[in-house]
Amino acid sequence: MMKGPFDPSSSGTADVPTLAEFDLDGALREMADEAFTLSRGDLFRLSATAAAAGALVGLGLATGDAEAAATMSANDISILRFDQVLEYLQAGLYTEAERLGALKPETLAWARVVGAHERAHLQAITKLLGTNAVKNPGFNYGAVTSDETAFLKTAVAFEDLTAALLKWQAPRLDSREIVAVAVSLHSVETRHSAWIRHLVGLEPATTPFDKPASQAEMAALIRSTHFVVSRRTKTAGKKKPGYTG
Amino acid sequence: MRHAAAAPAAPSAAQDQQILNFALLLEYLQEGFYSDAVKSGALKGEVRHFAEVVGEHERAHVAYLQKALGARARQRPTFAFGDKTQHERSFVDAAVVLENVGVVAYNGQAANLTRPVLAAAAEIVSVEGRHAAWISDLAGRAPAPRAADVGISAGEALRILRSAGLLKTR
Repeated sequence: MMKGPFDPSSSGTADVPTLAEFDLDGALREMADEAFTLSRGDLFRLSATAAAAGALVGLGLATGDAEAAATMSANDISILRFDQVLEYLQAGLYTEAERLGALKPETLAWARVVGAHERAHLQAITKLLGTNAVKNPGFNYGAVTSDETAFLKTAVAFEDLTAALLKWQAPRLDSREIVAVAVSLHSVETRHSAWIRHLVGLEPATTPFDKPASQAEMAALIRSTHFVVSRRTKTAGKKKPGYTG
Repeated sequence: MRHAAAAPAAPSAAQDQQILNFALLLEYLQEGFYSDAVKSGALKGEVRHFAEVVGEHERAHVAYLQKALGARARQRPTFAFGDKTQHERSFVDAAVVLENVGVVAYNGQAANLTRPVLAAAAEIVSVEGRHAAWISDLAGRAPAPRAADVGISAGEALRILRSAGLLKTR
């Protein structure tokens, strides 16, 4: 079974190889440590009844399904934590771009809609995780949110890979209720990807079958951006954007 | 017509087959629609390019599902699209419905599939989501109108397609 960077069955200390593998300047480790502290005593089981219902309602998913009362597995918590961090990153990226307003109007229009979606996804995942949620690590986007070319390259890369990641995760989830939520987010990410590709003049759909990409591949993309800045090293706000495509 | 149960039953090989046959019907419909439209000569520019590219994708989906189902694959119906494939405007409107229904129909079945089949279906619906966004953009509509594409039952998908006049056969 896969072990994500936020695998809750691990101790969260330095002897966790999967965590070290994904360690981004120690920042992800800090986040995971905090999450383990928050959720200690209830790491393996999560009664998701109210949380799942709230998250579904937040997304307009009115299932009213009693099966949403399922208990979330450690595996599902691990996957959702990874997604939560990714949604923090994306929601923050698009929200900052919208606030700065330096991009072309059609790019800003895209960022406005997609930013709202990612914020809704973040809210839903956070509610699903309940006490197992991780805190926003805070990201430093450098000039990417105000530089048209850098923003577009970053957005295309993230939307393509996010869609691929959710494809990788879907068959690895245990809860069928969470599968139903995950696939409803997945196809929206593929829409975002097609839309931004169309916007920049790329073919929106290039192949009959879109292949999955693992959490390790997403972690590598995140690492390449240098958006994650450890709070131990006070470089936030000064570091140059390392990712321009 | 017997179609996949809306109420979630535990995934099984038998249920996978039932759902894949439902998916095959949707793919036959999409492939036939784009094939007719391209042949009609009514499409120009990027709309024509869309129909050609997406038609190829749907053909690949049909082939994949036929192979997965083997002898249990349903027969290909002969659809009657009327003037929907004969004029660009009506083509675009119908394609928006076809692609958007396709996405939520697949999503509605995801949790009813076994893991390996879910992995395969995810690769297909991913591309359907791209088609839906692309044709919506070409139609001047929102490419991603909602934060979540909430799944619908097979029955609901067929009802929408029928009421849009897209499930007529001859």
